[in-house]
Amino acid sequence: MSAAPVWPAAELDPVARLRALAASMPWVSLEEAVIAAPFARVWSYIDDMERGVPQFEGNVRRIEILARDGDRLALRSFAPGGFAMKLDAVLRPGWCVMRGAFGEIGMAAAPAGPGATRFAHFEGSRWLGRAARPLFRYFVHRDLARLAALATGDGKSPSHPS
Amino acid sequence: MQVSAEAEDELVRNAQRGDALALSALVDRLAPFVGRICGPIALEHGEDAAQEALIAVLRDLPALREPRALHGWARRIAAREAVRHARAARRGLPLAGARQELPAPGDPALARDVRSVLSALAPEQRAILMLRDLEGLSEQEAAALLEVEQGTVKSRLSRARSAFKRRWSS
Repeated sequence: MSAAPVWPAAELDPVARLRALAASMPWVSLEEAVIAAPFARVWSYIDDMERGVPQFEGNVRRIEILARDGDRLALRSFAPGGFAMKLDAVLRPGWCVMRGAFGEIGMAAAPAGPGATRFAHFEGSRWLGRAARPLFRYFVHRDLARLAALATGDGKSPSHPS
Repeated sequence: MQVSAEAEDELVRNAQRGDALALSALVDRLAPFVGRICGPIALEHGEDAAQEALIAVLRDLPALREPRALHGWARRIAAREAVRHARAARRGLPLAGARQELPAPGDPALARDVRSVLSALAPEQRAILMLRDLEGLSEQEAAALLEVEQGTVKSRLSRARSAFKRRWSS
């Protein structure tokens, strides 16, 4: 008998996983894009939560990490109008999901060839429900464009998969 | 990390209520689980099958009555999704083309490439082989999951095992 077989498992990258997660929350809006920048550069804006996220998330003026335990974070975010919201989050390379009393945010990334990153982002509010999805669709599209412009450094908009 | 059955139940219930962090933790557990089932059955279409299986499991999660049935339920969805993808892929391939993809008998690469060995089996045989020999399901459980008679499972399994063994050892 030859060596023991290694069965071929199918692997889902973080973007595919976030797509499935978003499908289970019908009140969120998800958008995906390919950003012409390497994964490490794109993800650095999410990983450096306090300095990076306020640069592209239009509804976050400031964010503070209150506690960290492994990949779990307790955060406080401040909206441009000053409204503060406590968030619980899970953050690790390529995966970030945040949950607050009035909203949910998800971000995932995976390398997409040399110098490119597939990025997925959702926002929504279980509290506001499906009726608010068009609003969140606008926020997600705006934030994704801002992140792509930051990561590419030339203001280019992300290309969208068909 | 070992998680108690009670903590697992609580996680599933929170996910059913739409808690994003509980859903995130479930994705961590379920993505490799469905990938392990879909890979050997759907082969090169395994990622698509796993993606659709994971979406189906999470989307229909609120309908699951008993949290402890989660893995059995997810296994059933993943196996069916994988067989569906594998059948569709087979229908889309001209038979001559499919035959040409198989390594020639005696090819030394054959013994090492389990994917090639599995591709020579029918999707239904791969599903039986995976559920019985990899997941450890009984004939009765595999029959219920694939909605076939127990005798069918027995005969398919026997044919799948000998075909696999023959190709794997050659």
